[in-house]
Amino acid sequence: MKHKIRTYILLVFVYLIVAAPFKVMEVIPGFADIRPVTLLGPIYALFYGIPGCVIFAVMNLVMDIVSGDIAWSCIAGLLANFAGPFFILYYWKRMSREDLHLRSMSNIMKHIVLIIFSAVLEAVIITPSVAFLYDVDWKLFFISVLLNTSAFPILFGIPLTVFIQEELGFKQISRKDM
Amino acid sequence: MNRLQANICLLCVTLCWSTEVIIFACIPDSVPPFATTCITSIAGAMLLCLSFLKRIKETIRREGAGLIRRSLLLGVLNCAYNLLYLYGLKYFDVSSGAFTLSMTAVVLPVILFTARRKVSLKTWISAALVFAGILLAVGSNAGVGQFIGGVLIASGCIIRAVFIILLNDYSASGDPVSLSAVISAIVGVLSAVLWLITDPKGFGVLPWNTQIIASLVIYSYFIVAFAQTLNIFAQKQSTPANATIIYSMEIVMSVLWGTVLPASLIDRIELTPWIICGLVMVVLGNLVVLIPSRQEKTGEA
Repeated sequence: MKHKIRTYILLVFVYLIVAAPFKVMEVIPGFADIRPVTLLGPIYALFYGIPGCVIFAVMNLVMDIVSGDIAWSCIAGLLANFAGPFFILYYWKRMSREDLHLRSMSNIMKHIVLIIFSAVLEAVIITPSVAFLYDVDWKLFFISVLLNTSAFPILFGIPLTVFIQEELGFKQISRKDM
Repeated sequence: MNRLQANICLLCVTLCWSTEVIIFACIPDSVPPFATTCITSIAGAMLLCLSFLKRIKETIRREGAGLIRRSLLLGVLNCAYNLLYLYGLKYFDVSSGAFTLSMTAVVLPVILFTARRKVSLKTWISAALVFAGILLAVGSNAGVGQFIGGVLIASGCIIRAVFIILLNDYSASGDPVSLSAVISAIVGVLSAVLWLITDPKGFGVLPWNTQIIASLVIYSYFIVAFAQTLNIFAQKQSTPANATIIYSMEIVMSVLWGTVLPASLIDRIELTPWIICGLVMVVLGNLVVLIPSRQEKTGEA
């Protein structure tokens, strides 16, 4: 139990390190919403299971509250940030016969397609609530969510997963623990 | 880890490096480059130590002076080529500068050959294609006035090539996390010395604000801790020549950023037919390395 609590605190700490700087600065003028922290979603899900998905979703809500972006649409954000990583976890642990190993092109491609599907799922959950509450261009918002939740997990999340699996020896949660 | 995974990691490292210009653009010019390197290297080393203290302690206990000596050599080479690039790039515009930096991909196989190490035919073909790409892109607007800049960058490329060969040798048997942490710490200390020489007022007069702190934090974990460690890890399964050719993709990404990002953030690059031809040649050079031959596929299986 003590080990689990320590692990969850570490997950929160890593989330904060990655997310916080992007909350206080505008990296690309005109593109306010850049969230590289989304790369952690599939990793938290696959290596820490449902608690990992919950931490990822709750931390997203916490960051929204801290940065003053709190609104009813945050509930949709919470749901989407849980559903996206959970979808990836569910596929690899319940639907797929083989585990994620990223050692072959077919396995990598399968993971990329899953990430894109989960990004679409998240965008479909968040966009209507934001479009309903605010006067925003919903198409642009949809694309922004889609790019944020697919590009970072693919471009940086996959190499990071290779590193933590192959070098650090991290083990994914087992099918029965899910 | 297999060759495919190593190549993916190296491409990711190259992508990280190409975004350096975007992060740098968020740091005002009043912060000297050595200050940025010093602070981010030390912060990156601290982050790695915090996360992997036990692992790093064990490696230092096991390898001791050997690890420090290797890291010191790599740290000195790293500072030397960055210094040469810093001053050499002042003689070139953005696109020419980016292309000339990729000369490492051409220099490295030659150094390996002169050191009587085996260089595959694929590597020579890739290096030739990258070289042709550089000549096409830079040749159209090169001038006599850029000679000194060219010499500085060529010297930087030679030192970087030696750095990559040594890094590849050391990563084969070493722990990437520990090596990365010690190299970062040493680069941090060396940069601090250079910072104090070039700007004796130092740490106290930096214009601290949330924007600068956030940029430095991003640079520390993203470029120093993540990209550098991933690079050392990927080198275990790669050859120096293979890695350097993949690194040359940085210019393709830099040109992409220079074309799509706003001028307020990055110096815009005007896409000329020569630059496009140069980029195509660099991509072709990479494809030669990235696409495994039938023989390599059989070997992997």
